[in-house]
Amino acid sequence: MAMRPELLKGHVDALLLAVLEPGPQHGYAVIESLRAGSNGTLDLPTGTVYPALHRLERAGLIGSDWETVGGRRRRTYHLTTAGRAALGEHRALWDEFSIAVSALLGGGTKPAPA
Amino acid sequence: MNPSTGSGAETPIQVYLDEVAARLYGPRRARTRILAELRDGLEQAVADRTDRGEPAGRAATAATAEFGAPDVVTAAFAGELATAYARQTLITYVATGPLVGICWLLLLHPDPWRTGLAASITAIPVLPLIAAGLATSAGALATTGRLMRWLPETSPGRALAATATVAGLTMAGDLIIIGVAGHSGFLTRPLAVIAVTAGLARIAYSLRTILSVGTWPRRPALGLKHLLRRRTTG
Repeated sequence: MAMRPELLKGHVDALLLAVLEPGPQHGYAVIESLRAGSNGTLDLPTGTVYPALHRLERAGLIGSDWETVGGRRRRTYHLTTAGRAALGEHRALWDEFSIAVSALLGGGTKPAPA
Repeated sequence: MNPSTGSGAETPIQVYLDEVAARLYGPRRARTRILAELRDGLEQAVADRTDRGEPAGRAATAATAEFGAPDVVTAAFAGELATAYARQTLITYVATGPLVGICWLLLLHPDPWRTGLAASITAIPVLPLIAAGLATSAGALATTGRLMRWLPETSPGRALAATATVAGLTMAGDLIIIGVAGHSGFLTRPLAVIAVTAGLARIAYSLRTILSVGTWPRRPALGLKHLLRRRTTG
């Protein structure tokens, strides 16, 4: 069964927040964590994940700091208090949603014959 | 090996970044930061690959492919850049408005002072325009910033439209107030010279803003089908 792209809609924010929960990471490390944490299923073109991070920063859910590493300017992202709260809300909603969907799809019950 | 100094790794990355830079449209500072961040990510991707034994040239080509085609990457950034421009411009209006407004208030306030709203509007006829501009600015800034966690988020297109609206209101307001002041014979006062100069500067800025928004490149929204590159089977 092919994984449909629209399944990701609405979950990118939560996934990025979850990746940053253990600690600050630079943009490329965030993307690598997303890829590794999903066993390669969430393999987004790397350059398109940065705008999603910028939007989360605009919303105040993550913050960023610039530093110089190996002569390069590097932007490191961290979860804010509001971001931690938002991640908790996303998790609660996901739990509720996944339990409901699993209850309907997970049983494997065949419909009664007409 | 440092990919930024390797001759085999540098060229594909620079070519890629040049292509992205040529397609990015928006505030200069935001574009510079985007390019710096992409460069760091690309060079880290190359370093990771060369550490695993890949030749530098092949690692650089693979890294740029991993980041996505330049047009896909710039389309993904287009919304953020439009919103950044809108917010930056609206903040400029909100920050400079009171400075100009105080000058006009001191020049045109009704005499005696406390004669009610109607008298104030008669003396300073642009007050409704100022109120509309402030409300539009506040709404757009709130719904593209931290409050968008609770309020419906304003799209980049609507943020640009709000910016053009505020620019139009500001331009109309400044033109009207300069006309009123000229008609009232206030323009010889030193404070009026400051107010008119500031008003003319804001009119020029507003004109440039309206032209910028009017010529802003319209790009199709980047759908998730462009984002989820690899589909897996379950």
